[in-house]
Amino acid sequence: MPIPELEKPIIKDVISKEKAIIDGVEVDGTWNSFIVERTQTGYDESMWDEISSTLEGVTISACWQCGTCTSGCTMREYDPNFSPRRFIDLARKGDRQSLVEIQDSLWRCVSCQKCTHRCPKGVMVEEVVHAIHNNLLKHGLVREDPSTKFDELFLETVMNNGGRITELTLGAASAKAGFVTLSVKDLIKMGGALLKSGLVKDLIKPSRVRKWSKVRKVLEEAMKEEVIIQ
Amino acid sequence: MSERKEVYGKAVLYPGCSLDGLGKSYEVSLKLVVEDLGIPYQRVEDYNCCGALEVKNVNTMVGLLLPARNLSLAQSMGANTVISACPGCHYSLSRANHYVNKYQNVGQRVNEHLKKMEEEPYEGKVGTAHAVEYVYNAAGVEEVKKRVKRPLTGLKVAPYYGCLYSRPKQFLGTGYSPFKDDPERPNFMDELLRAAGAEVVPFEAKTMCCGGPHVYSDAEVSVHLEARILKEAKRNGAEVLVTDCPLGHVAIETNMDKIARKYGEELRMPLAYFSQLLAFAFGHSPDEVLLTANLTGPMSILRRYI
Repeated sequence: MPIPELEKPIIKDVISKEKAIIDGVEVDGTWNSFIVERTQTGYDESMWDEISSTLEGVTISACWQCGTCTSGCTMREYDPNFSPRRFIDLARKGDRQSLVEIQDSLWRCVSCQKCTHRCPKGVMVEEVVHAIHNNLLKHGLVREDPSTKFDELFLETVMNNGGRITELTLGAASAKAGFVTLSVKDLIKMGGALLKSGLVKDLIKPSRVRKWSKVRKVLEEAMKEEVIIQ
Repeated sequence: MSERKEVYGKAVLYPGCSLDGLGKSYEVSLKLVVEDLGIPYQRVEDYNCCGALEVKNVNTMVGLLLPARNLSLAQSMGANTVISACPGCHYSLSRANHYVNKYQNVGQRVNEHLKKMEEEPYEGKVGTAHAVEYVYNAAGVEEVKKRVKRPLTGLKVAPYYGCLYSRPKQFLGTGYSPFKDDPERPNFMDELLRAAGAEVVPFEAKTMCCGGPHVYSDAEVSVHLEARILKEAKRNGAEVLVTDCPLGHVAIETNMDKIARKYGEELRMPLAYFSQLLAFAFGHSPDEVLLTANLTGPMSILRRYI
């Protein structure tokens, strides 16, 4: 059952006494009510630990929620739900539900690094935002988004093309995966300039890393490895 | 002058995929510039893609191994500094450098994998520099002035540095060393262009994001960000947008028609790499520095200097 972030029970119970005496003085009104317990429920506290044990997310604990990251954020201007400060807050509380609700915003970081650069506490914000998103992906809580799809495509293109990419191999793979890339008109225009300069040869036949098959094997093995910070 | 060169020791160039692709004009012109200035470098051969901003999001270890292999190649060439012309590569190599030095167990794992690839274990000691920083520090503005044969007097330029030339300080060390540019208000490229005789216009979008990594996945936003950069340059009267980032350069050039259609024809503006303008000012022909290969046709403006 999803619980909206702002309505989660923070105060569990209140005891009200008709007659209460504190330090010999009788109190009434709001003073004779006592909060029994302050607990937050509906949170998954393991989320903070999971993120802070990754290479990208290790600095999450240093955040003091000043909002410097969000105030300068490139993406914030386009998407009011995009707030690195809030992502960090929710992730530390372990509020997976609220994060899932804003999943259409979570992936939209353009990696301009303003937040990381400006953070007064040295939080690697851009990396932490990706770590939070990756945590949700790992638990299968969010849909696959265009950015993750493109990142995977990028890695696949590198792996399948001898360790390098060109604008053509990447563009072709992206078009195949359904991204809107360049129109035929754009390509013809580009082709003209490229032919003139002789660039076209390099683009069509990109060079490969000589012993790529060996490197690729090691990389494929390394992919299975989880990096844990000690 | 020799002292200045000492800053970088033995320097090698990591070309990265973009310089062997559409960024060819960047590499060709940069090579002419450093040779004219007497600060040549060797090229890292058999390099692989650095992983850019994409691979690190998919897999942590591969996101470190791709750049680390390149650092190891540079190390085995005896390099003290690896120069990247692409800020994406510069960022990626610096990031790997940062992490293998900061977390010993990560560094060890990286080296175990490098050994399996039959590469030298990486000791974490190769420095990183961007091409603009290298030209600015190793040669210096005065040397550039001396080489200018074709002063670009009266050419109004807006230098666009992009995001990863100076951010984040944790990886790139910007703001901590006199050989690194000011991270929020960079000016190394401004000074190099001024030395070539050009007039640098006030430009507030120097380090604004072009939406590069999401040029396919979030296209609308990217096009709008690019339009804003061009608008800012136009407002200040720039004739050419000068770049140091192949990712931003190619993204803006290929999107120029879309931008003009959507945000106004008046935003059309030619783009050129800073090294193209420097090499052109040093007397090289437009064909030699591949100014003719730029999709936005900067020769329409630069013709008056021939």
